[in-house]
Amino acid sequence: MSTMRGSSLAYLIRRLAMFALTIWLGLTLMFLIPRMAPGDPIAAMVARISSQAGRVENSEQMIQAWRTRFGLDAPLYQQYGRYLWNSLHFDLGYSMAYFPMKVEDLVRAGMPWTLALLSIATVLSFLVGSTLGALMGWPASPRALRLVLPAALCFTSIPPFMLGILLIYVFAFGLRWFPFAGAYAHEFPPGRNLDFVFSAVHHGILPATAIVVTTMGFWALGMRAMMVTTSGEDYMILAQAKGLRPRRLFWMYGVRNAILPQVTSLALSIGGIAGGSVLVEYIFTYPGMGYLLYQGIVNNDYALIQGMTSILIIGVATAVLIVDLAYPLLDPRIRRGDL
Amino acid sequence: MKPVGIAIKRFVFIGLLLSVAGCSLHAPKSDYDRRETVVFDLETRVLAPNMWNPYVPGARLEHGFHQCMIEPLFILNTETGIIEPWLGLSMTSNETLDVWTLALRPEVKWNDGVPFTADDVVFTINLLLKNAPSLLFSGPMKQWVARAEKVDALTVLFHLTKPNPRFKLDYWSVKIANSVTILPEHIWKDKDPLTFKNYEPGKGWPVFTGPYKLDRFSETSFSYRRDDGWWGAKAGWKPLPAPKMLEWVWQGTEEMRTAAMVDGSVDSLCDITLGAYQALEHFRGDVMAWTDGPPYVWLDPCPRALEFNCGHPPWDDKEMRWAMNYCINRDVIVAVAYEGTSMPSKHFFPAYPPLERFTRILEQNGAYDRFPVWEYNPDKAREILESKGYTRNRYGYFEKDGKELSVTVTTHEAAIELQRVAQVVVEQLQTAGINASHRSEAGGTWMDNGSLGNFDARVGWMACGSVSEPWSSMDTFNASWMMPDGKRAQYNIWRWKNEAYSALVSDMGRMPLGDPRIDDLYWRAMEIWLDELPGIPLTQARKLLPFAQDHWKNWPSKENPYSHPCTWWQSTCKMIHEIKPVAPDPGKAP
Repeated sequence: MSTMRGSSLAYLIRRLAMFALTIWLGLTLMFLIPRMAPGDPIAAMVARISSQAGRVENSEQMIQAWRTRFGLDAPLYQQYGRYLWNSLHFDLGYSMAYFPMKVEDLVRAGMPWTLALLSIATVLSFLVGSTLGALMGWPASPRALRLVLPAALCFTSIPPFMLGILLIYVFAFGLRWFPFAGAYAHEFPPGRNLDFVFSAVHHGILPATAIVVTTMGFWALGMRAMMVTTSGEDYMILAQAKGLRPRRLFWMYGVRNAILPQVTSLALSIGGIAGGSVLVEYIFTYPGMGYLLYQGIVNNDYALIQGMTSILIIGVATAVLIVDLAYPLLDPRIRRGDL
Repeated sequence: MKPVGIAIKRFVFIGLLLSVAGCSLHAPKSDYDRRETVVFDLETRVLAPNMWNPYVPGARLEHGFHQCMIEPLFILNTETGIIEPWLGLSMTSNETLDVWTLALRPEVKWNDGVPFTADDVVFTINLLLKNAPSLLFSGPMKQWVARAEKVDALTVLFHLTKPNPRFKLDYWSVKIANSVTILPEHIWKDKDPLTFKNYEPGKGWPVFTGPYKLDRFSETSFSYRRDDGWWGAKAGWKPLPAPKMLEWVWQGTEEMRTAAMVDGSVDSLCDITLGAYQALEHFRGDVMAWTDGPPYVWLDPCPRALEFNCGHPPWDDKEMRWAMNYCINRDVIVAVAYEGTSMPSKHFFPAYPPLERFTRILEQNGAYDRFPVWEYNPDKAREILESKGYTRNRYGYFEKDGKELSVTVTTHEAAIELQRVAQVVVEQLQTAGINASHRSEAGGTWMDNGSLGNFDARVGWMACGSVSEPWSSMDTFNASWMMPDGKRAQYNIWRWKNEAYSALVSDMGRMPLGDPRIDDLYWRAMEIWLDELPGIPLTQARKLLPFAQDHWKNWPSKENPYSHPCTWWQSTCKMIHEIKPVAPDPGKAP
């Protein structure tokens, strides 16, 4: 018993150390990569200012002034130290392209929309896709059901933005059931009222459908393969021989064992949704995070890129940590180090 | 399965269906009457929508902010070349062009009722000078304005650091896109202009002089409500604009924007392709553009050109640049890249009436006979290349000393129009035996590479600046802006150095606008430019801007050119006063 407790503690410490290392490495890479890319963010910013400000003849002075303001004239190690320190304090700093907006304000504006849309769409896609995959990989399923797989894969091969255009054409432009674009009707600004909630759901149905329909095939494929493997296991034959009902056999013995890798993928997907879905957001003019990250990259906005990728890194690392900590509960071999 | 389980599942399923149906049936009803609301297209999403400070780097102006809330002092009419007064009545200089006197229109008020006076102008200039060069326009103000002095409540003197004949035109007249914004001193006097957002709905902020007040906004749409107490109507200067509401809405891709106009939910669109316009015409008959028939387009002030780094061999040789020019067929570029919706460009000037006079000077003096910029003549190109020692290799490309003649043409990643032009140019150069390729670069990188001289050739908007007079564009080739590769150049990123040209252009720059001596200097300078051809003018830049006429009429057009039609410029404030509602059809229910 004490050995078990000891191995659990060691496992926990190892996972936590890996979590910290992942975040540090991720943050460091995100500090270096934008700086290695060609293009100067301040020059880009000043060029944009100059293009809006008539004839500008002293842009070099502007560049120097802004470089100093953003601390980019300091040696790289100082910039790195300040960046790590600020990251530890969740201070994401000022955006260079959207100064004087703070990165956290920009993120705060887009995050709820992205989280709501993508987390619901991802979970729905996971549930529908995995269930379909499980049924397709289950020998006792009706044959007609197996025809679902090619159809699901057919949608998977369509990029979400293409399906988005199709959905808009049919359901918004043609049937007029849903709005063309946006996250809510302008008349019902965000607030705790039913009008806004209805409006937000109404606007979210088409983009969510585009994501669910185009991604569920991946879940179905993975699940079907695992179900085929699982259904040939000895314990399944034993359970069948003991006369368990097919429904119990399917859910408790088949799906429960086959779902483990799917859960890992789900955790990673959920951890990564903070990055948004640029093209779906663009097609549906949805005010999420994908467009924000894209603008950060296009404008070489170090602070915005670093801020958003920090959230992504922490999100994915946390999701992996949770999965790592949850797995031993599902499969004791992992805790013991058998695997 | 137990009956209870089945019941629960059915309940959940029906509940989900009802929720979706409920949301669909509960289709949000707009509280705007489309007969009183004009909806404009917004090209991109506004990531900082609560930023109403027009001077910070994160400021966006084209979402209605500078069209209906901020009013300019003057507006340049690109069709006539006349600078029309708005908040300003006149702005004149002394003989030495270093003191400018601004007379303000009387009875102008901020939308909180406080009078707009010379104090506000002086305050704004001082604020820009104090915070230079960090704020928009603060760099130029620091460069040009020694001090601003209030003479009386409606008169301001600008004492310049040195003579500038274009001070009014360049900074106060909405020459391209916008102009210096005057700020209300009573709101801004204790604020840090670098961090002040100028948004506090409880206090009625933002405060400006325009006939509309901010109503509500999100990252994708902005609404403004007409201020029926607007100073202009009270003073009898102009009646209130007809639309009670104005909206700017981001519609997403061109397909979505076009669909929105077909649907009747937007009255004006930003630039679209010919195919999209034809779809609009197909679906609704009442759509109009700048011209009734092809090419439909209004010309943007920045023509497109193939630009060289004239410091990089072999493009430092003018004959090599001319050889490139002979390889280019502009008619094909217009036909393929623009689907016929542009026109070849002989000059780096936009083909605006005030500048056409200067192109005619070249034609009348036979410049284009001696320097046939428009001539597509691959044989002549081959002759030049062979005279330079180039021969065709086994792949069909020209080479010299074992080195293939190649060039990479770069473009801005967001400029689809330029990419299409570059692709046709590359194809034509390939056909002529030059191993050309095209590379699209991220916007910031492309601009950075340009100013640092890190390119051989690019398709860009060379020499953008002139709208009604020739000097602004011509000065961008001045050798005084020359920087070596690796050092950031403000202008003349093409690294073309010609002292004679520069001297002539510098002389032009010191003369008052419209001075008759300018014509001769211009002609002599352009002779040098055409002979050297530091860049190749390709096409005029075009904007195909459709307007729907089911709710609103009297949009600007070539036949009715009271304003230019680009709805993202500050000059839209004039358009807003001119458009009128379409009389409702008595046979139709409202």
